[in-house]
Amino acid sequence: MNIDKFNDSIKACRFCFMCRHLSGVGNVTFREADTPRIRAAMLYGVTLDKSKLANADFIETIYSSDLSAACRFHCVNSFDENGMVLAARRDIVEAGLAPADVLEIAKEENSTEAKPKISGSGDVLYYIDPDSAAVASEARAFDKIMKRAGIKYRIAKGGNTGKVLETLGFAADSAKKATEFAEAINKSGAKTLVTPNPAVYDSLINGFNSCGVKLSPKAVHASEFLAQLKIKFSKKAGKVYYLESDFLKNYNSNLKFPRELLCKLGAEVAEFGTNSEESYSCGEGAVAFDKLRPAIVEKMAKYVEARADNPSSDKIIVASPYTKMQLSKHSKLKVCTLTELAADCL
Amino acid sequence: MSLPKDTYMFEMVRTELIDAVGADYVNTGDSDRFGHSIDYYWIPEMWHDRGRETKKPDFVVHPGSAEEVARVLKIANQYKIPVVTWGGGSGSQGGALPVFGGIVLDTKRMNKILKIDEESLTVTAETGIIARHLEWGVNKRGYSTMHLPASIACATIGGFLAHRGTGVLSTKWGKIEDMVMSLEVVTPCGEIINTLPVPRHASGPDLIMMFLGSEGTLGVITKVTLKIHPMPEARKFRAYLFKDFHTAMSAGADLMRSRLRPCAVRLYDETETLTHVKKVFGMDIGTGAYLVFGFDGREKIVDLEMEYAREIMEKKYKGRDLGSKGGDLWWQNKYKFFYPGYMFHIPQAFGTLDTVADFAHIEKVYWAMKKAVNENFPQARFIGHFSHWYEWGCMLYARFIFEGKDVPQDAGEAAELYNRVWDVAIREAIANGGVINEHHGVGLKLGRYMKDLYKNSFPILQSIKKALDPNNIMNPGKMGL
Repeated sequence: MNIDKFNDSIKACRFCFMCRHLSGVGNVTFREADTPRIRAAMLYGVTLDKSKLANADFIETIYSSDLSAACRFHCVNSFDENGMVLAARRDIVEAGLAPADVLEIAKEENSTEAKPKISGSGDVLYYIDPDSAAVASEARAFDKIMKRAGIKYRIAKGGNTGKVLETLGFAADSAKKATEFAEAINKSGAKTLVTPNPAVYDSLINGFNSCGVKLSPKAVHASEFLAQLKIKFSKKAGKVYYLESDFLKNYNSNLKFPRELLCKLGAEVAEFGTNSEESYSCGEGAVAFDKLRPAIVEKMAKYVEARADNPSSDKIIVASPYTKMQLSKHSKLKVCTLTELAADCL
Repeated sequence: MSLPKDTYMFEMVRTELIDAVGADYVNTGDSDRFGHSIDYYWIPEMWHDRGRETKKPDFVVHPGSAEEVARVLKIANQYKIPVVTWGGGSGSQGGALPVFGGIVLDTKRMNKILKIDEESLTVTAETGIIARHLEWGVNKRGYSTMHLPASIACATIGGFLAHRGTGVLSTKWGKIEDMVMSLEVVTPCGEIINTLPVPRHASGPDLIMMFLGSEGTLGVITKVTLKIHPMPEARKFRAYLFKDFHTAMSAGADLMRSRLRPCAVRLYDETETLTHVKKVFGMDIGTGAYLVFGFDGREKIVDLEMEYAREIMEKKYKGRDLGSKGGDLWWQNKYKFFYPGYMFHIPQAFGTLDTVADFAHIEKVYWAMKKAVNENFPQARFIGHFSHWYEWGCMLYARFIFEGKDVPQDAGEAAELYNRVWDVAIREAIANGGVINEHHGVGLKLGRYMKDLYKNSFPILQSIKKALDPNNIMNPGKMGL
């Protein structure tokens, strides 16, 4: 089974309470089952008795994880409960036990074309994935900055890196999408691939690597690209609250570039809420969590809203278009992405 | 009483519970029931490890207010269904295990900070809040509860109140019972009551102290007002190595008798100094007994207290100064031991023989327990440190550890071995003037010793229980009640 590779984490996490306070879903559902400890204990039961994998309630719990990886980032020994849940999802799918809602999303993902449509010219290729396309202002902001910088760039639209399929446990389907996506990108000859979406960034960096797919251009998140861009931002961003991205921080330890960009924009970054450890991304790590568990995502957004100093006036900055969408939809917080903030500071 | 899922009474009760707290907050799924069947007590962990079924509740409810708690308790009384209150589930004594099924009343939905009073320096919060979240909440305003136990990430404030928990700074700032101003409690019959608004008075016996440590047997604590403190200007530590445990204990006791006010004192016996200090703090200091202490508050006062403390350690007891680094490493790594990779873990069998005694008895208790464990269980290791210090004595955090090869695979036999260790060690502690225990609580694990401990005063506890909980629905089978 795929979870066998995570035996160490299963055995370590099943009786550990040290990251309980960071359970993004557990903190809004209040369920013990929605914590790393209990998911690990349940999976230990599966290692002893494989028939337990078929328990519908157990499967629902495994698909209710927000996969923020805050626990792994916090753990002094980096035990990988997150990887364990993803492995369990692969086992569920391979055993033909994926629930109807998961199959529905997978079907939709499988039906999309993996290869994006590429237009324009230049060494820089800006990738607008479907999630980012839903926040149209993101691409407009990037365009405004690039025009000011006098840089020609190409745009890749649509396509599918296989991230959603990977997260839901459809490893083979995900690898196929990744391969096709990479072929199209590599063929373009671009040297740098910029994505505004941390989930896509993680897919290009870690997902492709794990399934042996080679990507020719260097993949960077928009914050890294903009932080290194030689351009003057004339307006100061002022006081902002920055919400970390699960994929940048917890998956890739990328704390540097968003901060460098914020510094470049003259932002005074205040700590959001009471701490910098909890995930405030509304399920970004689970990628399609808004489709899979919309009620939980709504609760997570309300949880974030309740932690703002001044919910109706604070300037909240996020790295992820997904997080912006969820917070904008379910709270009165005023949210913009790093790219949008940068464009406003021109 | 357990209610099987396929009975109509299960549905009848479920319907009433939904009416009390809302459909979203009554869970009967396998995952939820399983999630409340294992806490941090070694026995259920081992039971699960061996592939045996752990005892599950029939219902998990998440009330959002004292009123909803009262409704649940009234339903439970009506049908005489056991109710076990569950906070974070980080108890090591089995106190939150639903050993007779019934309702687990999970308090975590009651998680709000209601008021921070900067005039009286108090915080009022619902008791289902995770202690770390409460601490972060008051930190943001420049204060601290000073209640910083290793289980802060998981345990709720209600859990600490229920079993009289303590934190690493207890020596100066007190245990949880020293921090409480007032409580709101839902009694077993569903009445919401409040204790007096301040904890110091001459208006009769102290109801706060009756509910603290009652471990869910006398009601559900739903709201608390706690003292808070300004963040200290400085907190400084220093560590010493003494030639042996006795000398280190004498030095520590002298420090307390000097009436200086250290915020923390820890003394590790020779065995634990060898293993723990090197493994967790990364310090290779040689043989002896490691003693660390710290002071916090205004920097000038901290420095002065440290100067006097150093005199005691160095001039009188000839301790080898490990410097502030030797102390700071302890503070920085104080929770590290509890993470997997550092913490004992199954297949090992392990337990904390938490005992408290005055200085006149504490060494006797230590040696008596060590001898009892070593003689009866030569295959076990016995280590100890002294964690929470008072003007009059301290707490012994003794541990026994069996390696996996020495633990029976059969769950029943493993449990029997485990219980025999406790029987031998705890009875020895009580016989030598020790009290079980200082901050872990009684729960299921130690309930059988309560009569030995309280002797002829135990019937008073039984009478209180009977008066408040005539149907014995609240956490039955725990604390020997």
